[in-house]
Order: sequence, then C-alpha cells, then structure tokens
Amino acid sequence: MQHLTEEVLVAHYYHDDDAPPAAEEHLRACGECRAQYDTIRRVLALVEEAPVPDRGDAYGDQVWGRLRWKLGSDKRRRLRWQSLLAAAAVLAIAFFAGQLWHARNSSVAPVARATAPTAAVQPAAASQQQPTTDRILLVVVGDHLDSSERMLVELSNADPKKSLDVSSQQRRATELVASNRIYRQTAVQRGDKQIASILSDLEPVLVELSHTGSTLTPEEVSVLQKRIDAKGLLFKVRVMSAQNAEGAAKTAPPPNTNSL
Amino acid sequence: MDTTTDVAAVSRARTGDADAFRLLVERHSRAIFRVAYRMTGNEHDADDVVQETFLRAYRQIERFEERANFSTWVHRIAINCSLDLLRSRGRHEKHYGGDTSDEALQGEVRADDPQPDRLLLSAELQKQVTAALERLSGNERTAFILRHFEGMPVEEIGRTLGIQVNAAKHTIFRAVRKLREALEPFVRSTPCST
Repeated sequence: MQHLTEEVLVAHYYHDDDAPPAAEEHLRACGECRAQYDTIRRVLALVEEAPVPDRGDAYGDQVWGRLRWKLGSDKRRRLRWQSLLAAAAVLAIAFFAGQLWHARNSSVAPVARATAPTAAVQPAAASQQQPTTDRILLVVVGDHLDSSERMLVELSNADPKKSLDVSSQQRRATELVASNRIYRQTAVQRGDKQIASILSDLEPVLVELSHTGSTLTPEEVSVLQKRIDAKGLLFKVRVMSAQNAEGAAKTAPPPNTNSL
Repeated sequence: MDTTTDVAAVSRARTGDADAFRLLVERHSRAIFRVAYRMTGNEHDADDVVQETFLRAYRQIERFEERANFSTWVHRIAINCSLDLLRSRGRHEKHYGGDTSDEALQGEVRADDPQPDRLLLSAELQKQVTAALERLSGNERTAFILRHFEGMPVEEIGRTLGIQVNAAKHTIFRAVRKLREALEPFVRSTPCST
C-alpha cells in the first residue's frame, strides 16, 4: 500500500486535496497515515492556542478616538484641495474671459459695421430671425456700451486741474462714433426707444472727443466732465449695459442637452 | 447594543454619517486587531494596521458593494495593510525576529518533560508556538494565517501573494511542516482534541 504524502495530508486537512474520498478511505485503512494525520491535526490545534493580546471591549472606542482625528484631517485636506482646485478654476475662467473680452473689444467696430447695416437694410429678414438678431444686437450694443463706459470713467476720474493726454481715448472715440450712429439708427428703426435715447445722449460726447486734440487742457477736461455729469451719462450707460447683459442672457438659446 | 446592520451602517456612512462609521469601527476593531497581530506578530504594528485599515475603508467605502459582507471586505483590507507594512519594513521575505535556528528552538523545548500535557496551557508552550510561527518566512506565515485562521481559498491566497495556485498550496504545506517539526514534541503525548 502506498502511503499518503505529508503534502496530501495537509491538503486533505484544509479540504484542498484533489480526491478527498480516496484520502479518507486510505486514512481509515492505514494506521500509519492516520497517525501522521492526527499529529498534523494536533499541531494545528496547538497553533490556535497561540496567544493574541486581548484589546478589551473599549478597544473600538479607542480606535475611533484616534481615527476621528485622522478622518477629520483627511476631510480638511480634501476640502483644502477642493478649495485650491476651485480657486484655480476661477482663475482659469477669469483668464479666458479676459482673453475673450480683449478679443471682442479689439474687433467690436468691424463686427458692428458688418452686423448693424445688415439688420438695418433687411428688416424683413430681420423680423423672420428676430430672436437671433435681437441677441446679436444686444451683444454688440452691450460691447459698445462697455467700451464707452470705460472711456467715460477714465474721463470722469481725470484730475480737472491738470492737462490730460486723450490720444488713446480719441482714437477709440472715433471708432465708437461710427458704430454709435449705426446702432442708434438701428434702434430707432426697431422701435427700441431706450437704447436709441442713450445712444443719442452718448453721441455728442463721442463726437466732441473725437474732434479734440490729443491733449485736453484742464478747462476742456472740466467742461467734458460737466457734460457727462449733467446728463447722468455714465449712470445711464451703466444701467443700460447691465440691462443689455441680462437681455442677452435671456435670449440666448438653451444649452444642448443631447450629449448628456 | 446597537442593532443597526452593517449594510445599513455602510449606507449611512456613505452619506457622511460619522456615527454610522463609528459603529462599524467599534464593531470590527477587535477582530481586525487579531488578524493584524497574527500577520505582523507585533502589538504596536497591529494597532497601526487597525488604524490604517479603517482609514482605507473610509476612503474606499464608495467601492464597497452592499451585497458583500463588510467584515470580509474589511478583513481583506487589513490583510493588504499588514502585507504593505511587512513589505515596507523589509520583513516579508525574511524570518521574523529572535534566534531562529533549529538548535536554538529545540534547545528551549524540554522534550523530556514528564508531563507534556500540562504544558499545553502553559505560557512556555505559548512561547514555543509564537516562536514556531516566527520561524516562518513572510510568505509562509501569511499564506498559513490566511488559510488557517481566515479560511481564505488557496486561489485567493495566490492572488494576494502574487504567486501561482500550486505555489500557494506548497507554501502552506511548507509552513505546516515547519510548525510540525517545531511543535510535534509537544503533541505526541497529548490526546487529540479535535
């Protein structure tokens, strides 16, 4: 009779052997193998007696006490990372918005020239595509008002006791006069009295500035500031600019949700 | 005693309920300590493993499948934490501490003890068992503990240790043979209790 190897006996103990019934049968018939198997069982039973320190009933509470602090710092670390990521995202958005604003600002006049006359000479087509042209008009006029507002702010904040170099404002005013005239005519044709009114108030200031020299004397600065103040021009432009931004947002098409 | 099931506690813990996670920690800490102690052979290391285990469980709780058994899941995490700790300390493939030569071990065994059965419950015998376990290599000890105490299938032990199934089976056999060589003198005169 061929005896079972020690490896087979160990596998049989853990029920990992390939033929348990055959091994069982052999163990019943072979005293030598049975003795070997019993020794293995006793040794393994003894191993189970190996002491493990008892941590007591309060151990879970102690573990939680230490863990809570770690989980708290883990959470704080996560929140800190989230805050950093959020800040980075805001910076990135601000950067791209700035880039976009800059690109629009530098191309507003050509875009205006191209868009506004089309809307003016093709009223039928414009009425068919009114929501779209409304939105384009609001966006373009909004940009125009933003540029005008910045220039008015620069002039209003200038020191009236000193001469002022307005060469850059003069160049911008020259561009703005042309587009202002087109937008005003378009607004009148479309019956938008509010926009037409503010653009009418704005136009003389822009015209005057575009015809001045590159440097304004303190007196000229003072006169210009009084004209801006008298008509509440800066305030009106700001209000209209804000209303325009709201209107453009409302007429914007809904986002495409098909891809979600 | 809180009767909330583990599944319910996990569901609540997922929503950020700290008390629910606390319940899981309190319920399973002692069992996790036992497996960690057997794996590392050191109380301080076992305490560290318990902490790390629940920290990982907290971070990975979204991955826990509710149909699974939380105890089994957290035990697996504890085993991985123990292996990581042993590997990080370069102990996994080395023998555990102490004098590991056969002679030294046998020298401590009083084979001519007239009443070996009395030794069964003695602190001395417990020391011998501990010493015998410490003589195992890292893989042997881990494979043996996972099979003997945790009841882990050989296939899973192989995956855990990154070895083939046959190699895992042979590793368990080598561990048992070493334990038998070290402890057989203490069981020859002892009636089989199982």
